[in-house]
Amino acid sequence: MSDQDVKPRPVPKANKYVATDSFWQGTKDGALLLQYCPDTEQFQHYPRPVSIYTGKRNLEWRKVAGTGTIYAATIVRVPGPGMDGRLPLAVVTVELDEGVRIMGNIMNVEPDAVAIGQRVALAWDAINDDIAYPAFNLVEA
Amino acid sequence: MSEETIVIAGYSETLVEYKSGRSAYDFAGEAFAGLLASTGVEKSMVDGLSVTVPLSECANPFFAVYMTEALGLSPTWLNYGGMGGCSATGGVARAMTAIREGMCEVAVVLSADAPSTNWAANYGAFRGEFQDPVGVLGPPATFGLLMSRYEHQYGLNYEALAKISIAQREGALVNDNAFVKLKKPLTVEDYMNSRMIADPLRLLDCVMFCDGGNAFLVTSAAKAKALGMEKTVRPTAYAEITNFKGADPVADITETGFSVLAPKVFGASGLQAQDINSFHPYDDFTIAVMMQLEDFGFCPKGQGSDYVMATDLGRDGDLPLNTGGGQLSAGQPGLASGGLNLAEAVRQMFGEGGARQIAKTQNALVTGIGVIPYARNWGTSTAMILEAS
Repeated sequence: MSDQDVKPRPVPKANKYVATDSFWQGTKDGALLLQYCPDTEQFQHYPRPVSIYTGKRNLEWRKVAGTGTIYAATIVRVPGPGMDGRLPLAVVTVELDEGVRIMGNIMNVEPDAVAIGQRVALAWDAINDDIAYPAFNLVEA
Repeated sequence: MSEETIVIAGYSETLVEYKSGRSAYDFAGEAFAGLLASTGVEKSMVDGLSVTVPLSECANPFFAVYMTEALGLSPTWLNYGGMGGCSATGGVARAMTAIREGMCEVAVVLSADAPSTNWAANYGAFRGEFQDPVGVLGPPATFGLLMSRYEHQYGLNYEALAKISIAQREGALVNDNAFVKLKKPLTVEDYMNSRMIADPLRLLDCVMFCDGGNAFLVTSAAKAKALGMEKTVRPTAYAEITNFKGADPVADITETGFSVLAPKVFGASGLQAQDINSFHPYDDFTIAVMMQLEDFGFCPKGQGSDYVMATDLGRDGDLPLNTGGGQLSAGQPGLASGGLNLAEAVRQMFGEGGARQIAKTQNALVTGIGVIPYARNWGTSTAMILEAS
């Protein structure tokens, strides 16, 4: 595929599902903010309309370190919207050190170098010139 | 049990087709008319209807009511099942309850979908912000992740997954309803050489989205007898769970809802895994079949590969598996998928398996899987045990 054929990636729309301004402001500040239930002192991701632990709407947004361990890893090889120029793509589930999982891409190595158990740190994936999405780098690449 | 005995007294299935150009209504009509013809039941006797939410028509929230108009029915009980591949087994279970409650007497559980012709679904929700940007656009990526974790914890012999595909393909070869382009023999080499979709998930681990429909007649044993229906099977146990471990942020994703359903359905029926005559697990991906073999206790957790390699899963074998090809080899008729393996189990127990008829038909175990959630395994699990009447 030539560069001319690469379609721009879809731009995620904030606040469509629940209020996510804090998450998106975090991406502008270079921080990963996730929903936190202060009643049970646990994070949850993706964001929900209530705490999945209590059913209450007492939720905050808190910064996580963005460090964690790869829990599951695949290499997506099939095209689709937003995938132009990104294949093959390392997709992982990371278990963050705060005790919550998040899916993301590994940015600093070839996909076949990614494996379960590896340590990762927060990185950023440029969706376009204005928006960077949370992603990960292998710590020992 | 003092409860009234309820039976499945008929089934009907259309061809599985790809890009048929037809609608879910049209497939539903064909399955419905086929059910009336095969059971001899008059349309006017049908007073209960369960309809599965189809990908191809789900933009219409009133699809089930439109369906009653399409079929000319005036049901006193209507159910609209939105559990994807669990909607057929779940629909039968709900119809049984409705009949016992006196809400209807003769229910049709109808699933039809045509997503390869018309894709109308938009899952919305969190996906645009939290799933699509990382490249998880559909079930294969989630199942690639699940397979990777399974392999990490237990080891995975890909030849065993190939064997599941091949065993089911043998059924599709003699299934007149199977999608015609899938009706060719498979080898281990074919499986191994099929292209990677989402490592370690290969093309031949996956179903193909097609179009099709199926229908079941559910009524009391007494009513079935009064109507002269000689072939019936009894659902003697059913259990379901949705969002298993949904409030555990670090749940082991190799543990599935079936692990809690298995003791329930075995307890209710008095059967054990070794008593099961044929197994009809929901088979959107080969790894789901292997994980269910473990969860229902055909083998210990994590030993699915060894079990599959040591077991004849063919129609004349130790444990006949999805004897019509399952979705993997007959094609997945969208969200009518949950009725495909149920229809095969009923067909076998009615002795109508033709060239693929199995010998032991005293019981069958049928399951459903519905909806793929964020970074886990699957949303809804259903299990139903059928026993000879």
